Amino acid sequence: MKWRKLLPPLALLLAAGAIGLLAFLALRTQAVDNTLHLQRLHQIRVVDALDVGLNRAVTQVGVSTMVNVTNDRATTTAQLGDALDALEQGPTALRGLSPALDAALDSFLDTVESKFELAFDFEARNILANQRLIAGIDAVPVTADDVLAAADAATQDTQDTVASLLRQLRSEVNTFGVVQTPVNEDRIRALLDQLDTLAPEQPEAFAAALRKLRARSADVIADKQELVGRLGTFLARPTAPQLQAVEQAYMDWHGAQVAVANQYRLWLAAYAAILLLVLAWLGLRLRRSYRDLDRANDELSHANEHLEEQVEARTHDLQAALNELQASQAQLIQSEKMASLGQMVAGVAHEINTPLGYARSNAEIVRTSLADIRSLVGAQTRALNLLTQDEASDDDIAQALSAAQAIAESIGAAELAEELDTLLGDTDHGLAQISDLVGSLKDFSRVDRSRTDLFDVNDGLEAALKICNNQLKHRIDVVKSYARLPAIECSPSQLNQVFLNLFNNAAQAIEGEGKLYIHTAPGPRGIAIRILDTGSGMSDDVRARIFEPFFTTKPVGKGTGLGLSIVFRIIEDHGGHIDVRSTPGKGSEFAIHLPLKQARTDASATSAEALAA
Amino acid sequence: MNESAATTSRARVLFVDDEPRVLTTMRMLFRNHYELHFAESGARALDFLKSTPVDVIVSDQRMPGMTGIELLRAARELNPDAMRILLTGYSDLNAIIGSINEGEIFRFVNKPWSNEDLTQTVARAVTAARVSADATRAGDTAPPTQGAAPGILVVDDDPRVPAQIQAILGAEIRVLGATSMDDAVSTLERERIGVVVSDTRIQDHAVIGLISTLKQHHPELVTVILTERADAGTAIDLINQGQIYRFITKPLHESQCKITVTSALRQHQRLRQAPQLLQRYEVVAAPEPAVASTAGKLMDRIRSLRSVVKRLM
Repeated sequence: MKWRKLLPPLALLLAAGAIGLLAFLALRTQAVDNTLHLQRLHQIRVVDALDVGLNRAVTQVGVSTMVNVTNDRATTTAQLGDALDALEQGPTALRGLSPALDAALDSFLDTVESKFELAFDFEARNILANQRLIAGIDAVPVTADDVLAAADAATQDTQDTVASLLRQLRSEVNTFGVVQTPVNEDRIRALLDQLDTLAPEQPEAFAAALRKLRARSADVIADKQELVGRLGTFLARPTAPQLQAVEQAYMDWHGAQVAVANQYRLWLAAYAAILLLVLAWLGLRLRRSYRDLDRANDELSHANEHLEEQVEARTHDLQAALNELQASQAQLIQSEKMASLGQMVAGVAHEINTPLGYARSNAEIVRTSLADIRSLVGAQTRALNLLTQDEASDDDIAQALSAAQAIAESIGAAELAEELDTLLGDTDHGLAQISDLVGSLKDFSRVDRSRTDLFDVNDGLEAALKICNNQLKHRIDVVKSYARLPAIECSPSQLNQVFLNLFNNAAQAIEGEGKLYIHTAPGPRGIAIRILDTGSGMSDDVRARIFEPFFTTKPVGKGTGLGLSIVFRIIEDHGGHIDVRSTPGKGSEFAIHLPLKQARTDASATSAEALAA
Repeated sequence: MNESAATTSRARVLFVDDEPRVLTTMRMLFRNHYELHFAESGARALDFLKSTPVDVIVSDQRMPGMTGIELLRAARELNPDAMRILLTGYSDLNAIIGSINEGEIFRFVNKPWSNEDLTQTVARAVTAARVSADATRAGDTAPPTQGAAPGILVVDDDPRVPAQIQAILGAEIRVLGATSMDDAVSTLERERIGVVVSDTRIQDHAVIGLISTLKQHHPELVTVILTERADAGTAIDLINQGQIYRFITKPLHESQCKITVTSALRQHQRLRQAPQLLQRYEVVAAPEPAVASTAGKLMDRIRSLRSVVKRLM
């Protein structure tokens, strides 16, 4: 649980690390700056070119003593110095890149410095040596002329030979002095040697002039050779190879850099490949998770659909069970109602049939007696007619009168009239009783009233009492204590059923004679009804269960056990409550509280309808 | 109007009802014929009976304190010769069965009654009471008759019932079974039967006609009803038209069955020895069934049984 919380920051850290590494590697591959590299190479080329330029300038200095040549060299030297500085420091500097490069650079710079010194020496020496060389070259023809002059005594041939040799020598020395060739010096020495061979035949002057010539030529050769030697030394300074070494060292360093960069590139590529692989793996994972998710979703939606079907099926079953239950409940309630109705009908039928019995019987007796009365009336009418007829004899009249008298006596006319009066009075009474009962039946069932009505509960109690009167009369003393009650909103027929059930129970609880107290009182929010009997009462166990459906203390087949549960239901449906207190052997008390108004809910309406059905 | 009233001393009839107007009516109805006595409750009626034997008691069923059945049962102990008539406004089945088994009543009369029916019923009861008054006591003390003991005929759709009853009664009493009315009549023709134990319906035919005819023509036969389809109307008809001796309900209770059937056998013996008692068990003639019906033929056979029974006797 805890590590799951740490997972998101961890993943974030990992991703940052991966990106950092990627950036690092990318940066590393970019470490080799190609432009800088080319600039550096160019710098090296510039140095090389300037070195060559310096060489050329110095060589030209050697050949020419013209001022512009010297200026050239100075310019070149200054440029070379700048270029060397650029190698040392600045953006294109090579210094500090690698030890090998530093060493190569050091030796190159040393050489260049020494070369500068040589050039400086050469330049300083060159002016002097050149002047001596020029003087030497200038002196050689003069001396040669002296030699020729000294040979004027010699043969023409010899003179010619000397002259040709001298000519050749002058040319050679001139050539030597200006553009030295490797064979010049040897030729000069060979020419001088040839002249030496001629000397013995010639005068001393010739020999002396020839020695002078030889000295002069030697001076020229020495000067020239010094100059050439200095220039040679200068040119021999290994700047080019050393620069090449520097370049090589730089190239090596650069190569190494490139190699490192390449290495990094390789790493980068590998890393990228790994990242791609990881990404692919993650993608696969994601895809698989999505697929799993999809499948799970599918299964879930399938299960959902199935669940709906199942739920529907279950609901259907439950609904069916509920309907069945409601039907059987309705049936039970109906059978209880029928049972209590049967009981009620039994009582009421007896109550009605008794007055009906004697009323009917009385009517028959009256009709039978009417025959006697009619015969008496007939006889008396005859006697009266005779009395009013003139022709009737006294005998006839007396006979008729005595006959009427006889009939009157035989039927006991006087008593009969009285008796018939009594019978008709009884009949009236019986019919009144019947109509009263029928009226209370109507009151009780309230079939002619709406289901919910404003109702005086006292009336309901009275109606119920009348209905179960035959269970109570002569046996149970009913003590009523009715207060003036406000009319409450209720279903009168249901409340009547409640009262009838309670009265029936009380009547059954009382063995022999007893008392039934009925007390009503208005309350702050409704009305209170108390029904007390002096019956057998009940134990706490029984009392705790009396409102349970099917709980009965009556023998099997004598009661449905629904009576009090229906009472309970009706009172609850009316938003009231019913309490019971009981002491075994002393009696029970039912206390009912009913509200003035009904809370309108569909549920109570439906169950009320179920009960009323 | 009534010969008994004219011939001998007037018969004593006791009327019991908690409604005094009913008593007034009775007084008017019967004052010319009988010596009338009235009581407004069962207790007072019993008080009266202790001092004065009567011929007929007519009692209301629903009365405070003591029901009509309770009264008639107690009256039977006090005054066994008195014929007992129950006047009912409405009675539940248990009250009716109780009145049959415990009250041994002569008739049920429903409220509201017709004067003619009531006077006739009372007149019959009075006649029966007067002719049998002496024989009742004589019958009780008479020695058992010689010869083979009469058998028991059990008429029931369920063929196991006779065997069950045989098992309950033991081997010394013969129990014969019949699962149809034809069977029953054949057995009656063949065997000497004292008691018929029958359901109220056999093969969907009401047995009331059979029992009523048997009782009219062979009043010494004693009938016990054994049924699970008990209803008040049938029970009233069975007592009024069939003078059934007992009414018991299934399932069979061994002791109840044994007591009932042996008591019925004793009753049969008593009736045989004192034919004058038979009037006490006279029945109202049942409406004759339609002619040429199988039931009608059966009734003819039952009538012809008379000679057989006579011969056996």
